[in-house]
Amino acid sequence: MTMRPILLLLILTAARELPAQTPEQQLRQANQLYQQGKFPQAREAYGAILKSGLESPELLYNLGNACYKCGSIPAAILNYERARRLLPGDDDLRHNLQIASMMITDRIEPAPRLFVWDYWDGIKNWFSLSGLTLTVYLFYALVAVMASMFFLARTYALRKIAVLAGSGSFVLFLFLLVVLIARLGDVTRTDEGVVMSQIVTVKNSPDAKSSDAFVLHGGVKVQLIDSVGGWSKVRIADGKVGWLEASAVEVI
Amino acid sequence: MTDEVGKVKTTMIALCAIALMSAVACAQNAQFQAGVDRTQVGSGEQFTLQFTLTNAGTGGGKNLQLPDLGKFHIMSGPNQSSSMQIINGAVSSSVTYSYILQPKEVGKFTIGSASIDAGGATLKSAPVGIEVVKGSARAKPQAGGQDDAAAQIGDNLLLKATVDRTHIVQGEQVNIVFKIYTRVSIASYAVEKNPTMTGFWGEDVETPKNIQTNPETVNGKQFRVGIIKRMALFPTQSGSLEIGPMEVQTTVQVQDRRSTDPFDSFFRDPFGRQVNYMVRSEAVKIRVDPLPPDPPSDFKGAVGQFAMSTTVDKKTTRTNEPIDLKVTVSGTGNIKLIESPAVELPADFEQYTPKVSDNINRTGDRISGSKTFEYLLIPRYPGLKVIKPVTFSYYDPAKREYVRLHSPQIELNVEQGAAAVTPLISGGSQEDVRLLSQDIRFIKLGESGLSGRGEHLHTSGVFIAMLLLPLVCAGGALVYARQRQAVMLDQAGYRNRRAIKVARKGLKQAEYLLKEKGSSGAPAGNQRLRFYGEISKALWKYLGDKLTIPQSAFSIEGAVAELGRREAPPDLVTSLKALLETCDLARFAPTSLDLTVMQRTYDEAQRIIVALERILR
Repeated sequence: MTMRPILLLLILTAARELPAQTPEQQLRQANQLYQQGKFPQAREAYGAILKSGLESPELLYNLGNACYKCGSIPAAILNYERARRLLPGDDDLRHNLQIASMMITDRIEPAPRLFVWDYWDGIKNWFSLSGLTLTVYLFYALVAVMASMFFLARTYALRKIAVLAGSGSFVLFLFLLVVLIARLGDVTRTDEGVVMSQIVTVKNSPDAKSSDAFVLHGGVKVQLIDSVGGWSKVRIADGKVGWLEASAVEVI
Repeated sequence: MTDEVGKVKTTMIALCAIALMSAVACAQNAQFQAGVDRTQVGSGEQFTLQFTLTNAGTGGGKNLQLPDLGKFHIMSGPNQSSSMQIINGAVSSSVTYSYILQPKEVGKFTIGSASIDAGGATLKSAPVGIEVVKGSARAKPQAGGQDDAAAQIGDNLLLKATVDRTHIVQGEQVNIVFKIYTRVSIASYAVEKNPTMTGFWGEDVETPKNIQTNPETVNGKQFRVGIIKRMALFPTQSGSLEIGPMEVQTTVQVQDRRSTDPFDSFFRDPFGRQVNYMVRSEAVKIRVDPLPPDPPSDFKGAVGQFAMSTTVDKKTTRTNEPIDLKVTVSGTGNIKLIESPAVELPADFEQYTPKVSDNINRTGDRISGSKTFEYLLIPRYPGLKVIKPVTFSYYDPAKREYVRLHSPQIELNVEQGAAAVTPLISGGSQEDVRLLSQDIRFIKLGESGLSGRGEHLHTSGVFIAMLLLPLVCAGGALVYARQRQAVMLDQAGYRNRRAIKVARKGLKQAEYLLKEKGSSGAPAGNQRLRFYGEISKALWKYLGDKLTIPQSAFSIEGAVAELGRREAPPDLVTSLKALLETCDLARFAPTSLDLTVMQRTYDEAQRIIVALERILR
């Protein structure tokens, strides 16, 4: 008989410790841990939410912050970059990524590029992805409305307005569609990675015996061009190309 | 005595003879030998190493190569002396190179062979063995002045290093005193080698210039003791540290007590001879414990007992006028190693690196003194400014704990100075917003829409369905417009078909009005009016329906133009126009019209409608 209450108690405690929480609650708890300065625990909590298959730019950003506070700069940069995919225009994110990038060992001068591309990026990253999708949809609908108006108009003046507004909307729709496709390409691209190893020697060919090309330290963002076996061909921002072991890099 | 005089003479003769017989004197059996004056020496004693080259001929020896003498100090040398002898006509010459050595270590050593070039050949000496024993080798007195002196000095001259404690914590002071114990008279001394003190920061403690000796008894012997050197040491690292030995070269006055020959004593110095003697202290080991863990954040290595005071030269100042903030740390301990405490200033203050001055008292048992940090602060903006309390932490070895000192909070009243009103710099006094520290921004706490990875708006089913909606709308509009147009087209056909019926109906009405005669035998005035109205209406309706022109927008000119477009014969159009005008005229001026005219008008209308019906099919 004395066994029974203990057993009951055990079951109760076990039930209480079951993670019967919504992801939002989990996120709130992780944020609380961060606010209390328990960065490693916060990092784990954020990671657990991600592991369940959910994500949001804020979650990735917060995880990046926790990684930064734990001192693992490459992980922080990886998560910031992932967050930037989803929320490219965010000021806080850009600031933190800049700070984290200052902590890495390698200073790589990016190869110069045409200013037009900066404008293009600016346009591309103006909206959030959903906002952009909705805007494209809006113009698409406007074109359809104008077409309907053209069909139904009884007077010449109304038809004229419909044609002008409809063609204007159509041009904007086409342009925004191109932007959206480009943006979707950015979001889903898998050809960028961050070096996660503390230090990695980049070889001239995909072979451990090959001669060394250069050395990279953790946190450097690389472009993945090709892969052979366990090796990845990478290009860094200043244009240098070499091969490194694929395990040293994590895809953004 | 006589013997010595004889020797001198011989030498003189020999010197004369050299010139004469130099040609004859040729090298015969050149020899090179090594030798020591004794084979057993005590540590701290000296011995002579000699290399003798005999019968080297006129050229003498060149290029003397010494063996490795790393185990010995070379006290003097090489001292060269040469001699020549002629015995029974045989000339023998010898050159001697002598060194005075002192062993560094105890043990048996072999002095390797030396080499010299003489007479075209390289000669080598045989190795020489020597034994170095601890202390004095002269337990049993031997003959010879030097030995005698060393024997006399022996245990009567010691150098001792004493520390006041052997177990301390890092940064704590330990005093070391090097004392010389003597029972002999020392003429002079010179420090040969200062002690090595790896891991310590040392401060010489002042000692009187003239050594004062005090009597002290060691092992039942009365010594005079003088302090040679006194140091205060502060370990900068923990572990087992060693203070190396100190070596002092002394010149000792010795008396030759052995000789009883009055003549001998007469010629000798009545005050004895002077002998060089090296004394050396033992190495001292000190155990240094590390400081306890978790020091305060502002602890920078100060160990001892300290007090701190802060002073500001004025409490009220004007902008751009400097203030002097003095932080003085005083007490006993490793004063010299104290670093400047951090002063937290309001952000709009300019701060320069502090000026540091120290005042250290090295005379007492403990190193004491004070260190002053002078901070020059320049307030840039007026207002009541607060400098947070300056903190300074040290480890107190007596209490075995860290102590943290706080200064009172300093309040400064900064008034607007004149300089700001008329800035000296022409560029203005604008300043960038200074980033006080570089850190990442805080996390985002807002509700974030968590969604599955790779789930986007454009891939959701609802959105794809929504994509069809405008398309459906536009399609619907298109279909509706088409249908409406078809209906409209149909309406025109209907009117076309209906036109003739309506016209006939109108004409029939007109005919009825024409045929119906009133009692007077002729149609009444209002009947005539109605007749023309009916004719006009029938024509208008017919044209309206046929040409698909709304009644409201109808005019004779419009109808005429439309008929011209439809290639109606001009005479028909002319007669239609005339008829319509006649009708209008008759309706508005209905006086002079009689039955025949009405009959003609009716026939004309019928004719035109039939003709138009043929054209406008």
